[in-house]
Amino acid sequence: MVEKQRGAMRLAACDPAAHALGLTAGMALADARARVPDLAVFDHDPVADLNLLGWLADGCERYTPACMLDPPQGLLLDITGCEHVSGDEARLAKDLHARLSRHGLTCRIASGGTPDSAQAKAKYAARAISDVPVEALDGGNKVHKALRRAGLRSIGDLAVRPRKPLAARFGKAVVVRLARLLEEEDPRITPRRSLPIIHVTQNFAEPISRTNDVLATIEMLAGDAALRLQERGQGGRRFEIRLFRSDGHVARLAVDTGTPTRDAALLMRLIRERIDALSDPLDPGFGYDLIRLEVPIAEVLANVQVGLETKIDTDAAAAALIDRLSVRLGAERVRQFHARQSHIPERAALERAAQSDASKADWPKADWPKSVPGEPAMRPFRLFETPQPIEVTAGFPEGEPRSFRWRRHVHRVTRVEGPERISPEWWRHPRGYAPGNGSLTRDYYRVEDSEGRRFWLFRRGLYDEIERPLWYLHGIFA
Amino acid sequence: MNKKPNHIQPTLSAGAFPSVQGMWKQHQSDAAQSSLPFGAPYVDERLRGGITQAGLHEFFGGTKADSHAAAAFALLLAWRLPESDAGIFWISGDKERQTSGRLYPYGLSEMGGDPARMLLVQTADLRDALRAAADAIRSKAASAVILETHGNARLVDLTSTRRLALAAAETGVLALLVRVDAVPMPSAARTRWRICSAPSAPLPGNAPGLPTFDISLLRHRGGTAPFEARVTWDHATRSFFDAPLSGGLSAIVTDTKTGPESRQRA
Repeated sequence: MVEKQRGAMRLAACDPAAHALGLTAGMALADARARVPDLAVFDHDPVADLNLLGWLADGCERYTPACMLDPPQGLLLDITGCEHVSGDEARLAKDLHARLSRHGLTCRIASGGTPDSAQAKAKYAARAISDVPVEALDGGNKVHKALRRAGLRSIGDLAVRPRKPLAARFGKAVVVRLARLLEEEDPRITPRRSLPIIHVTQNFAEPISRTNDVLATIEMLAGDAALRLQERGQGGRRFEIRLFRSDGHVARLAVDTGTPTRDAALLMRLIRERIDALSDPLDPGFGYDLIRLEVPIAEVLANVQVGLETKIDTDAAAAALIDRLSVRLGAERVRQFHARQSHIPERAALERAAQSDASKADWPKADWPKSVPGEPAMRPFRLFETPQPIEVTAGFPEGEPRSFRWRRHVHRVTRVEGPERISPEWWRHPRGYAPGNGSLTRDYYRVEDSEGRRFWLFRRGLYDEIERPLWYLHGIFA
Repeated sequence: MNKKPNHIQPTLSAGAFPSVQGMWKQHQSDAAQSSLPFGAPYVDERLRGGITQAGLHEFFGGTKADSHAAAAFALLLAWRLPESDAGIFWISGDKERQTSGRLYPYGLSEMGGDPARMLLVQTADLRDALRAAADAIRSKAASAVILETHGNARLVDLTSTRRLALAAAETGVLALLVRVDAVPMPSAARTRWRICSAPSAPLPGNAPGLPTFDISLLRHRGGTAPFEARVTWDHATRSFFDAPLSGGLSAIVTDTKTGPESRQRA
């Protein structure tokens, strides 16, 4: 692997065979070529390296959800309280080693009380932290050289020295790092993603690959998670499922809910839906050997007493359904009617997303007109977003429509009522009222054609406002 | 006038007591078999009480221009259901909304409905719409689900309609399928109707009157023979009444309570 460093092509990494030939990272490519003429050289790709590291970290989440990248080559896992999943620490390390070797990767695994200690032990292949050389302090070349000159070669040498002179001589950072290496101070790792509130895991001795088995396992885990949520008096807003394939690949599924829930059956429905909606279906490969369900977001959910006779709460059912549809189709596609103060027909009624319940209380309570006995509706049941242009024949200029043509069909008007005059909202206009200011006056007519269809037409503009007013069809009556 | 539907009494095996679940199931099936009358005596008599509430019903427009009549009729039928908290779902695609316009709450309210109960679901395509409809029927959230589809879509076939019909039979939700600009194809609907607008009984001044429809039953799974009728919707009672087929004035003028005398011309 070569990389351009400070204007020269230098080796960025070399394989064991190259090491054996005396090549080391950082050597100029020309020098290396001089030593080994038939050197195979590839471009160094740090992004691909990082991706691989991320992929490995995904796989390592089988041991613990707290995983941190330590570029360029390290991974830090916080396995506090997680060892029991694989047995114990040694078995975990063995398992990890076996899995990484399977991919042709060489690795050094070390554990320690603090991330720094484990990191240093792995980096310098030391059994105990006292054997680790002083370079592990990361204090810079000057510090390391000075320490070595003073005869302090390893962390073990430093551990027994008083700290104060050390801090005075080399700075506080070195002492802090030393304390961390000696497991006196635990900085904790910063995981790649925030830790879930609850996570439940199922291990398999033999990998499973049938979708039904996977779903059954998820259902079992969902039941466990539900119990634990209940203990906390919470309901999950987001559920994530990680399917760990035996070859290290990890598939992720996530579902969101609009209201907190711990209903395992509901969760299963959402998950099935999620699996159905996957653009590329789940590929079990050689099977999954570990499945984990996580609840990253949870909210308070009170316990509800369920009656003996199951009363179906339509409100709750409606909320759940609205959630589901909003999740699948998008929140703006599931709507409810809302009124607005306006007498311009198309402005008077709005539709708003039904899911955004937070601001529902602020909306004006709709006061829809009630039906009058014996009266037909004065407003259509359907309205066109943009009025449909029509050609109208009227008896005389300001008169009622006699017939009109709409969508290539001529309708002969047999009954008509009108006009209902709706003037434009001139008060919204900066210059106030004036004929023809802003928009034009509309004259609405309710008409019925010879076949019994009922329409709402209007003429846009009075004859003293505009020379040739146009006609539009705006709505349909039942 | 409304005949009660015939229940099949469950036969008990000797010595067996009906289990609680059995009784509950029986209770549910009673609810499922209840029928929804139109309110118009002639039609209800023909239908022996009305259409099955827990079922799928299809409405076609007579011609392309009558598709609005089919949609309106389905809506009015949904309002015949007793008032409850459960909403009425109106599901349609982008295409339907573009060609047919949007529902207008003022008009709906004036026709006797409550716009606050309506939930509108607009989907990108028919596949989503069918799925949303099935979900809405299956949940206990809806009292009626109306699905509007446009054209002779291959997706609206026997399989997909059966899915809706079975779900409706299970939950007791009234499922209505409005087929715009389509020809009838085999489906699992319990009844199939063709709906056309009909001339209304005019009000004084030759103003258009109450919504009137020519309805014809094309197919009935229960074996009712096809028939035709003309019905008018009355907002106040939220029911249909038989309109004379001759289209005379008598139907509305003789009814003094709902007569046009109270009417004020705009």
